[in-house]
Amino acid sequence: MSLKRRSAQWPWHGLLVVILLGLAIGLWMATKQVNYEWRWERVPQYFAYHDEVAQTAPFTGRIVKVHPDGAYSQVEMIPDAGGSRAIITVETDTLRVADGAQVTEDQEIGVTRHWRVGPLTEGLWVTIWISFASGFIGLIIGLVTGLCRISKNPALRGLAVLYIELIRGTPLLVQIFIFYFFIGTVLNLDRTVAGIGALSLFVGAYTAEIIRAGIQSIPKGQTEAARSLGMSTAETMIHIVLPQAFKRVLPPLAGQFISLIKDSSLVSVIAITDLTKSGREIITSSFATFEIWFTVALLYLLITSVLSQLLFWLERRFARSD
Amino acid sequence: MPPFLELHDLDITYPPRKVIRELSLQMNCTGIGCLLGPSGCGKTTLLRAIAGFEPLRRGSIRLEGVKLSRPGWTLPPEQRQIGMMFQDLALFPHLTVTDNIAFSLRRWKTAERRARVSELLRLVGLEEYARRHPHQISGGQQQRVALARALAPRPRLLLLDEPFSSLDVALREDLAREVRTILLREGTGGLLVSHDQFEAFAFADEIGVLDEGRLRQWDSAYNLYHQPADRFVASFIGQGILLPGRIGENGRANTELGDIEGTPPGGCVAGDDVEILVRPDDVIHDDASPLKAEVAERAFRGAEFLYTLKLPSGARLLCLAPSHHNHPPGRRIGIRLDIDHVVMFRRNWSVRCVESPPVPAS
Repeated sequence: MSLKRRSAQWPWHGLLVVILLGLAIGLWMATKQVNYEWRWERVPQYFAYHDEVAQTAPFTGRIVKVHPDGAYSQVEMIPDAGGSRAIITVETDTLRVADGAQVTEDQEIGVTRHWRVGPLTEGLWVTIWISFASGFIGLIIGLVTGLCRISKNPALRGLAVLYIELIRGTPLLVQIFIFYFFIGTVLNLDRTVAGIGALSLFVGAYTAEIIRAGIQSIPKGQTEAARSLGMSTAETMIHIVLPQAFKRVLPPLAGQFISLIKDSSLVSVIAITDLTKSGREIITSSFATFEIWFTVALLYLLITSVLSQLLFWLERRFARSD
Repeated sequence: MPPFLELHDLDITYPPRKVIRELSLQMNCTGIGCLLGPSGCGKTTLLRAIAGFEPLRRGSIRLEGVKLSRPGWTLPPEQRQIGMMFQDLALFPHLTVTDNIAFSLRRWKTAERRARVSELLRLVGLEEYARRHPHQISGGQQQRVALARALAPRPRLLLLDEPFSSLDVALREDLAREVRTILLREGTGGLLVSHDQFEAFAFADEIGVLDEGRLRQWDSAYNLYHQPADRFVASFIGQGILLPGRIGENGRANTELGDIEGTPPGGCVAGDDVEILVRPDDVIHDDASPLKAEVAERAFRGAEFLYTLKLPSGARLLCLAPSHHNHPPGRRIGIRLDIDHVVMFRRNWSVRCVESPPVPAS
């Protein structure tokens, strides 16, 4: 049986490979057409690079002795005007002076090299932390709004509905502009705070609806059973409904947070240097447009797929205890 | 001393429909009762009103003399000390058997809570399953967990909303009897909602028959069967047919099967049409009898046959005969009536008459 099935399946796998190959060749042909010169070697430096810092003489004086110490050398010098000696450390292969040489103030003696984080890595980090911060705040907003949405109090319910409809009915880009230019100006907010605020409100509205649906998916009998066992409405919600609802809303919540990471690219319009904005900035200096955008896309894909694997694992763990 | 449970003149509405109308009943101190009725008769609504989940339109509910509900005011369910066993059990799927049972005991001291939980686990025979989750035990075991959970806080009254309906018939009556024993041992009152009369008979001392939101009769099982208050109760409880007759000058009812002595319904005078309830066990198969009836249908019940007989007038009659009296349909057999409790209703064509035997409860 399984053998039969496998033999029926493999032509389709073959077709899949052919289609993917065709797409790859098409892409290659297309770039040939526009005569694009690929410079992938320029990309890695934007993740991290070796920065050289020039070490200069602090005063006019004389080199007493150079002490070579492997890759580094200690250069010992005394000022002409008299006073205490100074020791400067430089990379041995960049040493520009010898024992007994006379140097003037600010003359370069050599350099030291350090690994520095490039703009792509910085942008990636900004994207991750902005997404997580807004996801967390959004979850809290969503939980509160979701509970208000099913409250018996008309004022709470009305506010929740208004908020959800306002947010879901307008584009995120417009919300970010309003939040930054209007609310941000009125309250004198930092651009990062404004960005996180806009994203939190956005994701909160969607989370509220997910949580409302989750709570309402728990059979009424569960609430009634808890009530008849002496629990108040609030205790019932905390001990019976929410733990069960959480398990059910985990998959849609995961989807919402993955979209949030992608949507966070829109905060680049208010000059927050996230992954997208870093990419745009790098392109202006490197002209490696295709390479950088592909890299940026790949980085987004990396975060979202790691997150979705993590949530998938969490979901299975919860399902096991059910 | 006030009655254990007192419902007075209740109206419950799901606008625009009145689900319960003018319902009053008093349950005695033994406190094991049952609400019996066809589906849609309002019995579950009534139970939910007692639990505090449905507001009243009119009337009041009292438990041990204390008012629990009146129009415009409902004591919250959690403050009533009334336990409830639900039709779908509503066990908490994310908690173990122990945690389910201990759920209502959060405010108890740890030692007392442990003692109570292990007492209940022993009572329902589930000590080995204490650490399992509800989905890891069988349906019958889940029923027991639901019972133990509902009994844990020592409620004054336990409401049971058809909790055994998912079980097969044999197990259903056994469990109903077992729950009854447990309730008596715990000193807790019980009120069961059911559409199965045998389950009701096994469980309750007093049974109320409901139809279309009205309580037709509140009585012992024996009285419901032998002295039904109206046609509906007569047809719903047990089997039987209504035999047409007419009150004669001598005060007896003249029927096709002879004169029957009994108390005619109030206001009946000679010449009025009446109907007499004839149960299958009231009709004795007797070859020597001059009364003959034709066998129309025959149902084998093991120890006995249930015959549907056709009288010359076309009226039908049910007869329970020992199973060694085997007669094929079409044969005429001798019968005689032996009615202990004669129940007569005035024949009223505006009310649907029970001409054909009611469907036996399965």
